[in-house]
Amino acid sequence: MNFLDIGKKGMVIALSAQIVLATSTVTMAQTEMLGTEAAISKYAALANRDALMGEMQRAEVQAEIEALGIDPAEAEARLAALSDEEIATMLTQMEDDSAGAGIVSTLFSVFVILLVTDLLCFTRFFNFTRCVR
Amino acid sequence: MRILRRIAGLLVLSWLAACAATFDPDERLSFEAPTRAEVPDVPLIKQEDFFCGPSSIAMVMQWAGSEITQQEVAALAFSPGADGTYLADMIGSSRRLGQLAVEIRNFDQLLAEVAAGYPVIVFQNLGLGVLPMWHYGVVTGYDFEKDEVYLNSGQLDKMVMPFAVFERTWRRGDFWGLVVLPPDQLPVTASEADVLSAAAALERVEQYQAAETLYGTGAAKWPENWLWQFGLGNARYAQGDLRGARRALRRARGLDPSIPEVRANLAFVEGEIAG
Repeated sequence: MNFLDIGKKGMVIALSAQIVLATSTVTMAQTEMLGTEAAISKYAALANRDALMGEMQRAEVQAEIEALGIDPAEAEARLAALSDEEIATMLTQMEDDSAGAGIVSTLFSVFVILLVTDLLCFTRFFNFTRCVR
Repeated sequence: MRILRRIAGLLVLSWLAACAATFDPDERLSFEAPTRAEVPDVPLIKQEDFFCGPSSIAMVMQWAGSEITQQEVAALAFSPGADGTYLADMIGSSRRLGQLAVEIRNFDQLLAEVAAGYPVIVFQNLGLGVLPMWHYGVVTGYDFEKDEVYLNSGQLDKMVMPFAVFERTWRRGDFWGLVVLPPDQLPVTASEADVLSAAAALERVEQYQAAETLYGTGAAKWPENWLWQFGLGNARYAQGDLRGARRALRRARGLDPSIPEVRANLAFVEGEIAG
């Protein structure tokens, strides 16, 4: 499963985020080569976030969320507040639970909806979510 | 008292496991695994005392053509104080030996790798929770019809385990498994992100040539992603190959002109070539 090249529609968000992150790296670039490892974690995290936010913006997912009585804007705000680590954890748990390939397109939306309902205290699916009423 | 409760708990657990039916691939796996598979020519190395970890790595590396011994691996992996080898050192020593090392964590991945012709190192507890006997072995094959899993397990004979027994011992090791391959080959179940971080880890332990090979292997499989060319450029630079680094970084820039890290490193390398 590969989230690094998912989500072309999220590209605009990614690019603007990259430009914001870019300024600091470029100014300090000339003393040494920038490491591969740091670039990988930064851009993999961006790609994960893109995949998640891109899925959130699909019409079916929006409709499902509204049907549950949740404001999509609030759902998006909650997702956006997750840390890179939390998103990575969520994606790993998703891979483990769905155990295998070819599952992304159908089940991914279900996991995203579960994540939203978790964050809003309707469900308790992901271990890292904490519901505080 | 606590011990007694643990034993009672264990008995319940083992009773449950004993009742488990034979391994049903249709129910347990999310892909069509062949009925049987065997990785040929994995050497059987008799492990020295407590060297099941090093001997497992030596077996898979010798299978891939290396001449390394379990003592040589042990020098990088074994912890004498613990009379054993930690999981992290299994990964770390493989990388210090220039290998691609990727963890797996379920039956899907284990059987897919074996069916693809790659042996997999697994972490098992062959004892009980109260009397653990931690062990590493190499899964070299399986047969659903005969209900058998085949392991090179540190003895001179191949070890044969029914699926239920193998599952119980592997479950107690949290389904931890490790695919160790030369950097010009890729595990079939590893994600692009897994392979990328394994390649970056090779750079971290200064195995630049292995890292270069692995970045090239990744670039062939995932040609759209600039990160492979970026890593290739960095690994070549680390070996003093400035022109090779420039070629790779230019390809990275061609794949995505917006990435500041690529532009910065390309400018840096061009500066050194000009300077």
